[in-house]
Amino acid sequence: MEKMTRVSGTVSGCTMFCHLDAPANAISVCRDATQVVVAGRNIFKIYGLEEDGFVERLNLRVGRKPSLNFSCADVMWHQMEENLLATAATNGAVVTWNLARPCRNKQEQLFTEHKRTVNKVCFHPTEVNMLLSGSQDGFMKCFDLRKKESVSTFSGQSESVRDVQFSIKDYFTFAASFENGNVQLWDIRRPDRYERMFTAHTGPVFCCDWHPEDRGWLATGGRDKMVKVWDMSTNRVKEIYCVQTIASVARVKWRPERRYHLATCSMMVDHNIYVWDVRRPFIPFATFEEHKDVTTGIVWRHQHDPYFLLSGSKDSTLYQHMFKDASRPVDRANPEGLCFGLFGDLAFAAKESLMSAPQSVGDVGRKTYPGGDRRYPIFFFKKPDVTEQFAQVSSALSVFESEAGSSVGMDWFINTAQSYLLSGKPFAELCEHNAQVAKRLNRPQESTTWTMLRIMFSEPANPSLSSNHNLNKSGNLPLVNSFSMKEMSAALNERNKENRQDNLHSLETNLNNNDENEETEGSEGQAEYLFGDAELDDDDLYSMEHDNQAAEEPEYLLPQEAFPLRHEIMDHPSAPEPVQEKPESPHVSGSEAESTCLTPMESFSLISVSQLLFSPHLPPKFFCPIVKEMLCYYAEQGDVQMAVSVLIVLGDRIRKEIDELTQEHWYMSYIDLLQRFELWNVSNEVIKLSTCGAIMCLNQTSTTLHINCSNCKRPMSNKGWICDRCHQCASVCAVCHHVVKGLFVWCQGCSHGGHLEHVMEWLKQSKHCPAGCGHLCEYT
Amino acid sequence: MFVAKSIAADHKDLIHDVSYDFHGRRMATCSSDQSVKVWDKGDDGEWHCTASWKTHSGSVWRVTWAHPEFGQVLASCSFDRTAAVWEEIVGESNDKQRGQSHWIKRTTLVDSRTSVTDVKFAPKHMGLMLTTCSADGVVRIYEAPDVMNLSQWSLQHEISCKLSCSCISWNPSSSRAHPPMIAVGSDDSNVTYSGKVQIYEYNENTRKYAKAETLMTVTDPVHDIAFAPNLGRSFHVLAIATKDVRIFKLLPMRRESANSSGPTKFEVQVMAQFDSHNSQVWRVSWNITSTLLASSGDDGCVRLWKANYMDNWKCTGILRGDGSPVNGSSGHAAALSAVGIPGAAQMVVGAASAGRYFFPHLDSPRAGSRLAHLLPPPSLIEQIYEPDPSHAPQLRQRHAANSIIQPAEHD
Repeated sequence: MEKMTRVSGTVSGCTMFCHLDAPANAISVCRDATQVVVAGRNIFKIYGLEEDGFVERLNLRVGRKPSLNFSCADVMWHQMEENLLATAATNGAVVTWNLARPCRNKQEQLFTEHKRTVNKVCFHPTEVNMLLSGSQDGFMKCFDLRKKESVSTFSGQSESVRDVQFSIKDYFTFAASFENGNVQLWDIRRPDRYERMFTAHTGPVFCCDWHPEDRGWLATGGRDKMVKVWDMSTNRVKEIYCVQTIASVARVKWRPERRYHLATCSMMVDHNIYVWDVRRPFIPFATFEEHKDVTTGIVWRHQHDPYFLLSGSKDSTLYQHMFKDASRPVDRANPEGLCFGLFGDLAFAAKESLMSAPQSVGDVGRKTYPGGDRRYPIFFFKKPDVTEQFAQVSSALSVFESEAGSSVGMDWFINTAQSYLLSGKPFAELCEHNAQVAKRLNRPQESTTWTMLRIMFSEPANPSLSSNHNLNKSGNLPLVNSFSMKEMSAALNERNKENRQDNLHSLETNLNNNDENEETEGSEGQAEYLFGDAELDDDDLYSMEHDNQAAEEPEYLLPQEAFPLRHEIMDHPSAPEPVQEKPESPHVSGSEAESTCLTPMESFSLISVSQLLFSPHLPPKFFCPIVKEMLCYYAEQGDVQMAVSVLIVLGDRIRKEIDELTQEHWYMSYIDLLQRFELWNVSNEVIKLSTCGAIMCLNQTSTTLHINCSNCKRPMSNKGWICDRCHQCASVCAVCHHVVKGLFVWCQGCSHGGHLEHVMEWLKQSKHCPAGCGHLCEYT
Repeated sequence: MFVAKSIAADHKDLIHDVSYDFHGRRMATCSSDQSVKVWDKGDDGEWHCTASWKTHSGSVWRVTWAHPEFGQVLASCSFDRTAAVWEEIVGESNDKQRGQSHWIKRTTLVDSRTSVTDVKFAPKHMGLMLTTCSADGVVRIYEAPDVMNLSQWSLQHEISCKLSCSCISWNPSSSRAHPPMIAVGSDDSNVTYSGKVQIYEYNENTRKYAKAETLMTVTDPVHDIAFAPNLGRSFHVLAIATKDVRIFKLLPMRRESANSSGPTKFEVQVMAQFDSHNSQVWRVSWNITSTLLASSGDDGCVRLWKANYMDNWKCTGILRGDGSPVNGSSGHAAALSAVGIPGAAQMVVGAASAGRYFFPHLDSPRAGSRLAHLLPPPSLIEQIYEPDPSHAPQLRQRHAANSIIQPAEHD
């Protein structure tokens, strides 16, 4: 504590940097944290650390022709003797410098005992005159600065020494790391052999650092991109933490006053300095990103101050980093993952602390903090210790599965896709069927749409459709035409909102309109009919229409549909259910059509004008703009299924109205959806039924049929069905001898076959090929 | 409407991304612990981890599936400045018997000099293409010329966005009327650079991506961005996770002439903007029909948004990740400040409905307001004015309100 107070008095400053003349190889600070020495191949300078910048104090490279002894690989400032420095030269020299020397040349001692580059020099932490060096030649030497030569030599008996570090705990112990991945522990008194050795990394161990407080801990960093923390206090060396960085680790330095933190920098590729919490080995606690080239030296400015880090780099800059200016990768790291599944289920992964944080209604204050900075409120109220919170993280993964039948699920889509009929029956029946399907799946809007479509487009087959319909439509639908697109879609949107009351109202207004119109005798009957005054039976109703319609043809298509509608309508006044009702009657459908397309007021105001403009007989073409609008509406609401289904069922009736590109887009989207749900059959049906060239050819891409002639058993070369060798028709059913069109099943062994049902039947009785070739065919 | 299932993910650090595959039966998670896990939904409906392997030497930010037409292929991107493509190997092995599958690395994309923050496969109709974006503001588009050879990728385009990129999203539209389009979000924290969302469009003539639009109104860091699935629509919908949830609509404007070479001009509309998370929003995700948007934020909740017939977006549900049900109203901090004691409320509700979620009707539709301001429902306002400070009756009242399950809506 005493030290701390002193520190806070002396160490202050800001993030700052200065340009060096040349790339730095190593840096070291003096004990009182006021000066830093920078050493490199072409630089050897001392800078003073001022409040707002670096100040050059001394250039130690003197003389006209600096010798190779100045080319430093490493430098260390003595932590007890403030005038004493040592450098490791690339030519193998170990040099000590005394700043107290009066002349310009501060060189004091020169040891030239190593044969190759000296990678590291290290002063003993408590013994003033003891210096240790580690060299590329594989030897470590211990020097007594009072003597001219080394006191002892330690042979690692292996490859080059990359780092040597005196232990802080044991006076006599030092650790050395080697290029072969080993770390050795030596007793300074026993140069003959190491005390213990263990393999720390695969590949070179570039650095090691003793923990300043936990005296048994040694951190090592290697080319394998790992930083490992070893507990050396036990009998067996134990790896207690392992940090995986993204590049080879050149330097590692424990952070003062923070038990679990250490700083690393890399030897290549990565220029950043990372501070890690070893308990959370995956993501850096803090990052300093200032350097533009490889960082070569890092040192904490003061041994009891965790907030200042100095670094030198190949980019010829010297930086002082403030911890408060560091970037925190974890703040930018996304704490949550969220994904919607195909079936409406949601996968959600989130940091556990987020989910357990009280979802308090009371913390309104959070809403107002600037920029949505999320850290402070949570931190200060819950856990004050940032580093503790950093270390303890985990995520919880959960899947929210949509319950069957809920609106978020996709069951409706699958059911609809499978149940809709798109072809193979008369148009009206398809519509009717699909309306039923939609109704069953509780999709009233779609159901109504199908019903409307049937009514609109069935008419040409039945020009004498009941006058009620005609009246209704002639009364209202023409209006639609005069609306702008915008109004249309707005009106379409109104649809759901309309409650029964509105429906009735609009109905009423329309009817009133019709009443006002002299020519509509039918309206009277309709009104009575609708309002439950259903004394007339169907015959009456139709007979009325007959009156109205001079030439009534006997075969109208939709008479029976008039029955259910009556009941529906009678129900209406008594049971005011929300929109769910599915009116099936043409009458009510008609009125439904109004309510979808028009707001009641508009219809009211315009109806008398438009009434006269159109004949009661409307060609189906007349409805195309509305239907087109409707299809677009569905597509924009995300229900491309409806758009495509209607498009297919209506076929030529609507196709020309919608431009090819849009159709293609709808088809593609729907097919993609079907394939997502693995509804291959439906998807194929849609492709087959589509009329877009681009869609139809989907089935043909990367599909090749190899056909052999069933007679000569050679591959068919031309595209027709006649084999050009034996001039016979190839695809003849072996059972009935007719040409097969449609499903053709054939034996891959003898290439005979025929109609599926014929072959199946044949093979029930016989095992041999129906063609008589003797092959034992098998139908599975 | 939802049943929550908790999965013991067993990742050793934060999970940063979850991703469903094309058919919704597989799921991949990635984490800071440098691993990716693949989960398969068994016949019993449970999720089983079928593969877990170390993918990178740094945090894995994102994982994404390729279209199954290209095989079972995953791409991941990481803090270690790389993106990688992985393929599942089919074959008889011991792994298979133990229900484990084997994934091998097909390629590593090493072009970025900084953390690769997002990776996405392009829509299938464009072929096998992969996009990455990195913290130094570069979007890279790779293509595998031979879809059978996943180890060969060529860098096709490099787009410099100037701002640190955090997320990308392809416009999924397969229409020929819509040229390939990609939206890029930036998490640059400097609010003075406006336009944190940029949209680039491929130009057929120049064969380059050019900026088509910048959403200048987005000034806060963007964490996630997602185009809604385009099911035959003529316009595009883009959801953005920043300090709030925003939904933009991009209407392509008609070109003056067919052969004009410039990028498409868009009319940009804000469809919705919600700050009910009261904090950073981290993720947005669309359902497959683009009718529902899910967002998650620092409040630890997932909120579901849905447009009504008026194109008026509103919240239709709130889900808590830890299984506790949420009082639907809790997001409306301003309105509820006086109510307090959420814990008690949860207990009351929770007793009735462990693990179930109700969808409280949050907002009565307000015709005409396009921006869907989430005003507190009337019932809650009444509660606030209630002079009685004791909470019990209020809670019961709310509980009752919450228990009403909304009828299924199809609009």
